[in-house]
Amino acid sequence: MLALFQEDGLRQVLQEMEALYEQNQADVNEAKSFGRSDLIPSIKLRHCCLLRNQRCITAYLYDRLLRIRALRWEYGSVLPANVRFHMSAEEVQWFGQYKKSLASFMRSLGEGEGLDITQDIKPPKSLYIQVRCLKDHGEFEIEDGTVILLKKNSQHFLPRWKCEQLIRQGVLEHVVS
Amino acid sequence: MFVTDIRKDFYEVVANQRVALLVAADIDALCACKILQALFHCDHIQYTLVPVIGWQDLSTAFLEHKEQFRYFVLINCGANVDLLEMLQPDDDSIFFICDTHRPVDVVNVYNDTQIKLLIKQDDDLGVPSYDDIFRDDEEEDDGSGNDSDEGSEPSGKRRRFDEGAIERRIERQRARREWEARRREILFDYEQFEFHGTSAAMMFFELAWVLTKDTKDMLWWAIIGLTDQQIHDKITHMKYVTDVATMQRHVSRHNHRNEDEENSLSIDCMRISFEYDLRLSLYQHWSLYESICNSCYTSSSFKLWTLNGQKKLREFLADMGLPLKQVKQKYTSMDMSIKENLRDVIEESSNKFGMKEIRIQTFGVHFGFQNRFLASDMVHATAALLESTEKEESDIAHNFIKALDSLSRGNLDRLHVGIDHAKRKLLAIQQTVASCICTNLILSQGPFLYCYLMEGTPDVKLFSKPLALTLLCKYLLKAFVHSTRNKRCKLLPLIMAAPKDVEKGTVIVAGIPPESETSDKKNFFGRAFEKAAESTSSRTLHDHFDTSIIELKTEDRSKFLDALITLLS
Repeated sequence: MLALFQEDGLRQVLQEMEALYEQNQADVNEAKSFGRSDLIPSIKLRHCCLLRNQRCITAYLYDRLLRIRALRWEYGSVLPANVRFHMSAEEVQWFGQYKKSLASFMRSLGEGEGLDITQDIKPPKSLYIQVRCLKDHGEFEIEDGTVILLKKNSQHFLPRWKCEQLIRQGVLEHVVS
Repeated sequence: MFVTDIRKDFYEVVANQRVALLVAADIDALCACKILQALFHCDHIQYTLVPVIGWQDLSTAFLEHKEQFRYFVLINCGANVDLLEMLQPDDDSIFFICDTHRPVDVVNVYNDTQIKLLIKQDDDLGVPSYDDIFRDDEEEDDGSGNDSDEGSEPSGKRRRFDEGAIERRIERQRARREWEARRREILFDYEQFEFHGTSAAMMFFELAWVLTKDTKDMLWWAIIGLTDQQIHDKITHMKYVTDVATMQRHVSRHNHRNEDEENSLSIDCMRISFEYDLRLSLYQHWSLYESICNSCYTSSSFKLWTLNGQKKLREFLADMGLPLKQVKQKYTSMDMSIKENLRDVIEESSNKFGMKEIRIQTFGVHFGFQNRFLASDMVHATAALLESTEKEESDIAHNFIKALDSLSRGNLDRLHVGIDHAKRKLLAIQQTVASCICTNLILSQGPFLYCYLMEGTPDVKLFSKPLALTLLCKYLLKAFVHSTRNKRCKLLPLIMAAPKDVEKGTVIVAGIPPESETSDKKNFFGRAFEKAAESTSSRTLHDHFDTSIIELKTEDRSKFLDALITLLS
């Protein structure tokens, strides 16, 4: 879901922007001191390029932030290592701060008791659901210590809250019969 | 030990626990599994369902899950071997076994702690009494202890003592040898024949009834389980009729609640009805003509592989006044006037042509305007899905899940796919039977008949699966009995071999008991195969839960057969 952070590409764009800006600076000085009004279109052109590059970079960074925010809802507060590898240092920091503010928001709900709003995103129909394992996921440990072996094509009947994460990740499939 | 009160000793024990369900791959087990799953859903009992196809699968599944589960429920597997010896469980694992395979291993019967059998203690179990098989060994040790003392210090008085003691010892040893010989004989008689008991699905339906949580869906699944036993020839006709009567009581109990004049149920509700219907497989989803050609009973009675047989079929249809064009059409598009008393008309004509039992007691279900199914239709469809060889990597667990799904009313499209597969399977069986009989592939080897399907035979891949192969065996034997003139051959059992895995070079071998009206369906091939394999050291795999179906290396085929012939003559 999240591609590798394009450090090189970003640097190239910034270098390009710097180069354009310097050229523009030089031209503006020249136009002011020597009154060369024929340089003005090129100055305008470079200025437009600079603005476009800025828009592209901010769009890129913003899109990544939105995806990282969605990761919190999908994977929970601990991200798997391969996803974290794709994030830049600033993004990791941002993710940490987002986690903190979400956690403090959740704590403040329900008159100080706290409510985990990442559970039960769709209204549940029953306490326990029947799930089918779509791929080998190995052993799955739940909070109270019980371990379930998730082998492909095995079916389980488990409490809803234990399965929700895995259903979202596509390891389990909810069976309605 | 046998569980007497299934509610107290089974259901309430697992009520707040997590359970592992290990289910064998046959239709009765699937139905039993569905019923148990429905009960567990009602009471929020957490479970994990693992399909198993043989002993190796069972051991693997047990090893994988033994850390996490204490209670194991085994459906249609595990009763006919010494389970504790095979699985080596910890002392706190408890096994609930609901299995139709008989005879139940004596260790399973007499183990009080870890094995609980969810089996009715019918009269036909015939378990030998405890004292005949198990015996304390204290006396022997005392005897040997005394010997060493006496041997070291011989003197006058001691010598007289010696003689008395030696006499007693000899007496004891002789009694022990006699007891052991009798024990071997009793066990041999007990374990010689393999047969099947009451359907597992019916057992679990009874549990549901005792808990008053039984629904029509569960009743229908129990009926399908029972019909599976009848179609795959696992129980005698008497037992089938008795069980049908039991089920009919439940059906009338469920139907009694419904239909009033004022508030009749919507057409979409499920209705189960008792039918005295025709023995034509899938006739309501096919054309009548195809069904008559491809059902075992009619095709072997008419001998449809001969030209004469085809003529007789046409005479039969003419006798009933059914135009060929109508009969070859899809059943649902046949004329209403013909469909109205079809069963009675067919019964009358069949009696004239020598088929006295064209009708059989069974059940049908219908819900909605379009959906009518007989129990036998469901069995054929689900069996075809369970053993489908459509995709190259047909994973058994994948097929199991598909077959399990097709039993639910919400998955009608899957059921229709199953019906299509079943039609192809029946066609393939019919063609194979016809070719085997016409090319005289069935050879009499003395004590049994033998038939080998070559590798290039069309649809031979279908017959590498146990259920399909047993169905083929049954049809072939019936057809052979009708076609042969040799009176002695009609009473012989049949062994059939078909290629199973071309790369590994193995064949699957199945044996069925002889065809007769009053057959008790007791199969001795399980033990016979074991002994023959041992004596010739053939490379065999006795993996299947039915001991009469084994896998054998193709090269060892001939010596294995020779050993069997000498064993059984």
